[in-house]
Amino acid sequence: MKDIREDIAWAKINTDVLKSLESPRKLFWVIIISALTVFGIGVACELYQYNMGLGVANLDNPHVWGLYIATFIFWIGMSHSGTLLSAILHLMHADWRKPIYRFAEAMTTFSLMTAGLFVMVHLGRLWQFYYAVPYPNERWIWPNFQSPLLWDAMAIFTYLSSSILFLYVGMIPDLAICRDNIHTGWRKKLYTLLSLGWEGTDRQWRNFRVTYLTIACFLIPLAVSVHSIVASDFAMSQQPGWHVTSFPPYFVAGALYSGCAAIITLFIILRYVFKFEEYMTLAILKKVVRLTFAIAMVWTYLNLIEYATVWYSHDEVSKAVLIQKATGTYAPFWWMMNFCGSIVPLIMAFKRFQTNIPVMMVVSLLLNMGMWLERWMIVSPTFSHGYYPWTWDHDQWPSWVQWGVVFGSFGWFTFLFMVFCKIFPSVSMYEVKEMVYHRSLASKKLEVAGMQESGKGAH
Amino acid sequence: MSKRHLLAIFSNFHEAEAAVKELRNSSIKGFDANQDLIVKSPIEHPEVEEFLGNKPVYVQWFTLCGALTGGLLAFFLISGSQANFFDQVKGGKPVVPFPPNFVLTYEMFILGGVYISILGFLICAGLPARRSPLYSSKVSEDQIGILVKTDEESAGVLKGIFTKHEALEIQEEAGK
Amino acid sequence: MSVSNLLENWSDFRHKHPVEDVPHDPYKWAMSIDLDACTGCNACSVACYAENNLPVVGKERYAHGQAMHWMRIERYWPEDDREFPDQGAQFLPMMCQQCEAAPCETVCPVGATNHTPDGLNSQIYNRCIGSRYCSANCPFKVRYFNWYDYPTTENVWPAEMTQQLNPDITVRGKGVMEKCTFCIQRIRVGQRNVKNEGRVLRDGEVQTACQQVCPTNAITFGNLIDTESKVHQQWKAQRVELAVDEQTKDTEEGGSDLRGYRILEELRPYPSVMYMERVRESAI
Repeated sequence: MKDIREDIAWAKINTDVLKSLESPRKLFWVIIISALTVFGIGVACELYQYNMGLGVANLDNPHVWGLYIATFIFWIGMSHSGTLLSAILHLMHADWRKPIYRFAEAMTTFSLMTAGLFVMVHLGRLWQFYYAVPYPNERWIWPNFQSPLLWDAMAIFTYLSSSILFLYVGMIPDLAICRDNIHTGWRKKLYTLLSLGWEGTDRQWRNFRVTYLTIACFLIPLAVSVHSIVASDFAMSQQPGWHVTSFPPYFVAGALYSGCAAIITLFIILRYVFKFEEYMTLAILKKVVRLTFAIAMVWTYLNLIEYATVWYSHDEVSKAVLIQKATGTYAPFWWMMNFCGSIVPLIMAFKRFQTNIPVMMVVSLLLNMGMWLERWMIVSPTFSHGYYPWTWDHDQWPSWVQWGVVFGSFGWFTFLFMVFCKIFPSVSMYEVKEMVYHRSLASKKLEVAGMQESGKGAH
Repeated sequence: MSKRHLLAIFSNFHEAEAAVKELRNSSIKGFDANQDLIVKSPIEHPEVEEFLGNKPVYVQWFTLCGALTGGLLAFFLISGSQANFFDQVKGGKPVVPFPPNFVLTYEMFILGGVYISILGFLICAGLPARRSPLYSSKVSEDQIGILVKTDEESAGVLKGIFTKHEALEIQEEAGK
Repeated sequence: MSVSNLLENWSDFRHKHPVEDVPHDPYKWAMSIDLDACTGCNACSVACYAENNLPVVGKERYAHGQAMHWMRIERYWPEDDREFPDQGAQFLPMMCQQCEAAPCETVCPVGATNHTPDGLNSQIYNRCIGSRYCSANCPFKVRYFNWYDYPTTENVWPAEMTQQLNPDITVRGKGVMEKCTFCIQRIRVGQRNVKNEGRVLRDGEVQTACQQVCPTNAITFGNLIDTESKVHQQWKAQRVELAVDEQTKDTEEGGSDLRGYRILEELRPYPSVMYMERVRESAI
């Protein structure tokens, strides 16, 4: 089974992808409207909370953080696999990434934007958020650079802006294609502006190659540092269940894991909605599924390591939190998380399911649910059963306001993502051409070699 | 002396390659293959760089400068502001603590590197660019274009070379 | 300029450390609480509500864990299958421990909580943006968040009660973290008064509200540096040192019979409140 048909005509690649930008099908509008409705629910909840105060989220002492922080980590985590596909696999010359990396990178950008919302929603005084920005002022008041939250803000800003630039630079040749082929209305102006006069000259390509490679090299350590810093929010604190040395790699593995699962989901949706069967082939799906399986096992290992280090340590308080997770209020969710995170991915080990679209859709959704639960199970149980017994609170439950905002964030993400896919090519045209070109060259070489071989044999 | 632009379109990459090689080896009056020859392609062909001769790329120097500036700026901005922000002691740590400052220095190192690399890319690649005198949208689809600038009288010689290598189409325009 | 200031005083900034390099002078506020004397009457808590304009959140929100009691009386019962389990409660007055190396200070993104030169853990309400990281990282969970906009909420201070609000300090709006300040408004007034006289505060000139109302004198507050002060003498008598995570008396062979201890000392926050253990029935 080949990743892509090698004899696919380049002109056809252009028309196929450009078709996805043209007048939307009914299904597209259905998705957009339902996404906006869901987002509207989140906005309504946030407005209510903004006016009333955070008490309506049913947060309390000691449960000062809740679903907002858990979902924030979830979205940050989701963003990591875009970088995995576009940067790491780019450096490793894995060319099967080419038809699918563009949407993965868009996913990176939009999930970071969604995560950013949660930082805001979480604040008690949202209207003063700029106090955390290091801007010069006459009183020389600066934020506290010691705080992991500030590292977070800095890391997310760096990651978001670098991802947008990376996405944009990688899209310039495709925007030129759009400019050359779409001649109507605001789109033409937009593409003309954004393609910067790209004509594919040798000078442009030469600098493009080096720049793309350089930014890819920067993005890999950046992605690792971003989730390590998110892990530091917890690992740098003193609380039982958070103060764990292995948190940064554990978080990074979890991030790649949930991101890959999300890629599978979106892969299947895009393949169906935009009819990209020719490019998002089952062979590529198979590779992504195998990659996800490998990462799932890494995550499982790190997860078990975390339990083991707590279990065999003499840290009684952390141990109590772990026992609380497994047997207390959160037990159903904790076991569910372990089941979804470590057992469900085993399905991916079977060849017959790797290309089975309905099964993979369900599995990828389950994996993402597991990873969301994982983040919740990191944040909340520590509050319910911390150092100070008098403040133990096992009964706190997030109110509908929290659930509404979490729910709404999925609408916001879907909305941004679908709009992106309608305005910008979600399959990289020039890179698919490169892939087709190099693969056909390689197979021609093989044929020639084969003929020589057989010729020799005939002698 | 009046100049003339020619754009030849090739559907076969190897023919285009042969045409470029011939142009580089020939000596035509008023045409310097290093300056007046531009190859336009729909994808990034590593071979193009080989047969066009060694043309250096300077983007990485922008990257280096940007990253170092970003890192240094971060460290001194952060340490300086800690020293001046009412000299506040927090959590029993020194006023200028190294571990957090290094984390932020690292982030700014990357931020500076990425931003300035993009700037370097725009400068080195000459973007945003005005449209060149001759362009065919076929180039963004599946064909290779060779754009040359030459003296009026040599245009015929160049056209001959292009036709010899089976150019699909030759556009021309009088330049300045 | 900022950078030249940084470079000139480099070693100073690298080493300024409240517990090692910079001994507090002339004040280091501290407390000691004798649990043997505490009867759990809650007067300290009530006094704190009155002195610090704490909102009375009501039964329902209290049950939600949204109470604002800066000073709280905790009750514990021994698990020894006694006939009447409610009997024999032990009390622990708990408030911000004013840690020398406070876990809450480092994590605040905007620097709203800091260490003051007289050894307090300060909270700047105007600066707080409500990230609640300080509370998340507080091992004692003694920081209280304004979950609602209490100054505009009815019944938090009913009409006649507003007459009783303390004019010396503000009321806090929604989305701000607050906590026990060791009645900093009283300390500052006292310090200003004696500054005019050119001397430092003597023991007993500043009292915290909780200390003032305690019927059994279980709470002692004062300047730990002043060797004449009661709090200094108590800390000394109990051989409790400020900047350690394990007291020398506890590492000695056979342990110590002294009652002084600090809560969660091993986490190294260097709390400024010393508790004196209750002499239990079983121990007599």
